[in-house]
Amino acid sequence: MNHLLIMLPILIPLYGAILSLFCWRSVRVQLYIGILTQVCLLVASFLLLFDVNESGIRTTQIGSWPAPYGITLVADLFSAMIVITSAITGMAVYLFSIKGLDKARQTFGYYPVLLVLQLGVSGACLTGDLFNLFVWFEVLLMCCFVLIALGGTKPQLEGAIKYVTINILATSFLLAGIGIVYGTMGSLNMAELALLVRMPVAHPALINMAGMFFLIAFGIKAAIFPLFFWLPAAYHTPPIAISAFIAGIITKVGMYAFIRLFTLIFVTDQELTIPLFTVLAGFTMVIGVLGAASQNDFRKILSFHIVSQIGYMLMGLALFTPLALAGSIYFIIHNILVKTNLFLISGVVAHRHGTFALKKLGGLYLQQPILSVLFFISAFSLAGIPPFSGFWGKFMLAKAGFEIGSFTIVLVSLAVSLMTIFSMTKIWNEVFWKKKPEQEPLLDVVPQQKLRDNRQLYLPVGIMTVFILLIGLYAEPVVAMAQLAAEQLLNSKLYINAVLKR
Amino acid sequence: MKTVILATAIRILIPLFIIFSVYTLFRGHNHPGGGFIGGLIGSIAFVFHTMTHGPQQTVNTFLKLNLYGYPRQPNQSRSLYLMRMMRVNVWRRRRMARHPEVKQRMLRIEPVYIIATGLFLATTSGVLGLLSGQPYMHAYWSDFYIPVLGKPGTPILFDLGVYLLVIGVVLKITFVMSEE
Repeated sequence: MNHLLIMLPILIPLYGAILSLFCWRSVRVQLYIGILTQVCLLVASFLLLFDVNESGIRTTQIGSWPAPYGITLVADLFSAMIVITSAITGMAVYLFSIKGLDKARQTFGYYPVLLVLQLGVSGACLTGDLFNLFVWFEVLLMCCFVLIALGGTKPQLEGAIKYVTINILATSFLLAGIGIVYGTMGSLNMAELALLVRMPVAHPALINMAGMFFLIAFGIKAAIFPLFFWLPAAYHTPPIAISAFIAGIITKVGMYAFIRLFTLIFVTDQELTIPLFTVLAGFTMVIGVLGAASQNDFRKILSFHIVSQIGYMLMGLALFTPLALAGSIYFIIHNILVKTNLFLISGVVAHRHGTFALKKLGGLYLQQPILSVLFFISAFSLAGIPPFSGFWGKFMLAKAGFEIGSFTIVLVSLAVSLMTIFSMTKIWNEVFWKKKPEQEPLLDVVPQQKLRDNRQLYLPVGIMTVFILLIGLYAEPVVAMAQLAAEQLLNSKLYINAVLKR
Repeated sequence: MKTVILATAIRILIPLFIIFSVYTLFRGHNHPGGGFIGGLIGSIAFVFHTMTHGPQQTVNTFLKLNLYGYPRQPNQSRSLYLMRMMRVNVWRRRRMARHPEVKQRMLRIEPVYIIATGLFLATTSGVLGLLSGQPYMHAYWSDFYIPVLGKPGTPILFDLGVYLLVIGVVLKITFVMSEE
């Protein structure tokens, strides 16, 4: 059972994708297969989370090859939490894409590619082997490329080219880093590497250098300060059902790998990494939020906010206390849910009104009050207003920062929160509150069928909002779990012993 | 690229390529070879055929199966009917196809389905171990030994899946590229 539970989040999307390929001709059948797959994936992820929560870190060795030689899959609390969050997000995006994505794109293999993307997310979270991690990131890159370019409109292709060029660069840095690690240490199993770097080694500088390679690689993947320019250039081009999932998940998977490697392996030279991360985190937050403030497009504002929020996750790693890491983990989960939901809401708005530009939108509070409430909840979660989920993440991070006395970064993060509220208020004012600008009355007529479709799009947004409220209002179990996960991350003996069976 | 020399040569070379690719596939567990290389060698045959004859002809030759059939007569027993249908479809195909009452049905294999079958085989070869409580992709080997091919076991299923997957992907790419 142990082996099965870890494999299920990988196997279920894979089988779903295979079945969808068999039913290539019929989109309707692919749709049913997809929904079934999403439900199964959600259930399997819940089971995995409960199992890991009860009995600690779980491992399996692919092909029964013992640990340093074979590929290890490891499920600890952190990875299980990311897997379940991505399953929830995948479910919502799937439901959204039924009506929210045009038929042409659906027939050209949207569903199988999305499932393979989810497979890549699960794989990247569960693997315990550096080279395997690289392969999963390649899977993610390929799927994102196909999804961003799917449909082949001009802005999409432009975004896809930017995305792929910069991400291939990131991947080559990753590969170079892996090569250096393998050359110096002679192993790629993450648990054995963690063991080896803690012993006296011949070339500590080489390990630091490899660490910097990984920093650049995952820095590009996760869109950290000097390396984030590709993100706002690519994420607003594809249709919303695609960009919601990619925007919600992929950078956070990069962040996941970042946190995993820099808590487990590259911890030997913390005089270098911690000040570096602090500076990077600060700049990422500030630059992201300033970029968002200058935008006038619903999706572009949200895209820049992704960058800004990545800074908070990095801040947890920079503070490097159990509470800060717990805050980081909680923040990643909160951010995946909230960001995807905001993207989906912008999709609902655009489906109804046909534009993302703030100037042309208006008066939505009058027309769609329920949607406005849903947006209100998500936006103020993102900004971190107390009862909602963003508050708890920021609270944990700020408290951890005050405890170890790094006041500057905490103050920066609080100031950035204020700026986030400013951006969210801007969207609220422009899209929901102000009067709709005058336009041709004939353009305002929306056919009945479209209105009905638009109402169906509320369902995924509603589901996501329920989860956001759940982790915000009933934060206790999630926070406790995040703290446990942070302890597992910092106490790497647990991880090493679980994998190497000692 | 229609040259008579290549077109004639490829007719003789296609079986060679395919036999050699299957041999490479099966020897792959302990020697150089395996599903990926075998698949690439096997797909050379189809790529050359497409280069000389065009994609449509390749599909007609390798990926299309004509099935013949006619409705069962009222006084015909089921077993006799099945026998007749088998005979129509297995031997004397050409001659039977000319009968006016015989209906023709076409079965076309898309590269996508080859890809899907390959993925399915490769994935399922690992699940067998999982179902019996072992880790994923745990290998089961048989006791006997087949000459040339070696010991059969579950990893050969994985290799077979990769083989099909590679052939499917190369075929798909070739067809799309040659149509443009």
